[in-house]
Amino acid sequence: MVATASQTRPGSDYRTTGAIPPPPKIQPAVSMNDAARRCRIIAADINAAECAVFLIGPSVERGRLVPCFDAEYPSIAATTKLLSIRSGEIIVKHALVSPAPFWWSSNTASASAAGFRQLAWAVETEPCLPGTSGLAFPVQAEHGQFGIVLFMGSSIIIDEPSLCDVHARSFALFGAVARLRSSEHRAAPSISKRELECLRLTANGHTSDDIARLLGLSVHTANQYLSNATQKLNAVNRMHAVAKALRLSLIE
Amino acid sequence: MTTLAAQEGKSAAASNLATRGDLSDFLGRACRDCGADSYMLVTVLHDQDKSDVRIISSNWIYDTIQAIGQGLIAVIAQSAYTTSAGLRPRSIRTDQASAGPTILSSEQAFLLHRNGHSELYCMRLNVVRSHAFLLVSSKLPERIDLQALWRLQLQCSYALAQIPHLLAGAAHQDPLSDRERECLLWVSEGKTTDEVAVILGVSSNTVNSYITHAIQKFAASNRAMAIATAIRNGII
Repeated sequence: MVATASQTRPGSDYRTTGAIPPPPKIQPAVSMNDAARRCRIIAADINAAECAVFLIGPSVERGRLVPCFDAEYPSIAATTKLLSIRSGEIIVKHALVSPAPFWWSSNTASASAAGFRQLAWAVETEPCLPGTSGLAFPVQAEHGQFGIVLFMGSSIIIDEPSLCDVHARSFALFGAVARLRSSEHRAAPSISKRELECLRLTANGHTSDDIARLLGLSVHTANQYLSNATQKLNAVNRMHAVAKALRLSLIE
Repeated sequence: MTTLAAQEGKSAAASNLATRGDLSDFLGRACRDCGADSYMLVTVLHDQDKSDVRIISSNWIYDTIQAIGQGLIAVIAQSAYTTSAGLRPRSIRTDQASAGPTILSSEQAFLLHRNGHSELYCMRLNVVRSHAFLLVSSKLPERIDLQALWRLQLQCSYALAQIPHLLAGAAHQDPLSDRERECLLWVSEGKTTDEVAVILGVSSNTVNSYITHAIQKFAASNRAMAIATAIRNGII
């Protein structure tokens, strides 16, 4: 069923015809809906029944797997929730050790399992959910946001070259998702050049005194710039403002 | 039975890399497969003002590296020509004098061209918390297969993860302990020392000492700089 659908869509049949697909680019996904659609297209291309994108929460001691969206967007599928609760640790552990894709299969006789075993670069792991087969791709966006793009199904079709292609597309997808999320958080702060300059110098370890001297201002003015910037970024203090400016790429 | 045979076949095919030699063999083979002639795998370590390039594996002629200087490698690696996984690789042409904006001086371009690097690609390899750069080049332009190139980019990052000690120097970008990292993360979210202490269930003095250690490890002058360094290196 799914296979027929994927074969009729133009551009998705390169695996069978040998035609080369255009190189993946980070196309600015316009909305999460659009991102979810792109995720479903990748899933259809490898004949996966389910797909999901997770963020790895920043709590470093025990990274949490946070569902971002799945094929049932805007709602969240029960399997996605189950995965993050029951197998979050296994998945996160893998993703924080190696960027290589990993797979599991509870049913060794399934078509997916047979295909997965041929993959030299993918690593086998214990079943993440009983009775399922799946393939997970660790991904990373700018500024170190980690995530997982995951596909499940009993008849996934994938080979060595398409493993890398799907991984590259997962990277592109996750890049777009991360950018969407950061733009959602961005309240379009109109920060002046001087304020940014002060933030940049603060990030480089300079104190208000240093900044005043470097920019030829009074200490009072330097502080004023910094507190304006803090306010515009909706931050609670200077440290928070510097971190936000860096994460939003307002300063390098 | 058949699966066993298949498994033996696959380990011979690609993936089990253990030494620098294995990695060089893999890179050499993969390079030829995508139509390239040369590769160079490097890590770039940042200190305050200078960048230190460490070559992990390369088949460049040593004289070329001497002539262009390692600094230029760092410049290329940090330029907009370097692409992350999932992005279309960007070509740097050294054979055309005026092919649009370029990061190379005409002298540097000439040197690279004369030494057999007419077209150059630089790709960033993310290996969990550290990263490396892979430069791939060909003697003649437009010989490199882009699709094979982005596959190589990913496979090379898988390969590096199998030989983590090669990146040991780069791991110094994340010298923090879990607790220190966690403290910095909360401070970067705007929490005060007392708040972090409550969150982590330790005393304020302990939090301060974690942060002081983090500042020392980064050779930073204060908290703000430690946070900035950690974010820039993708640690928090």
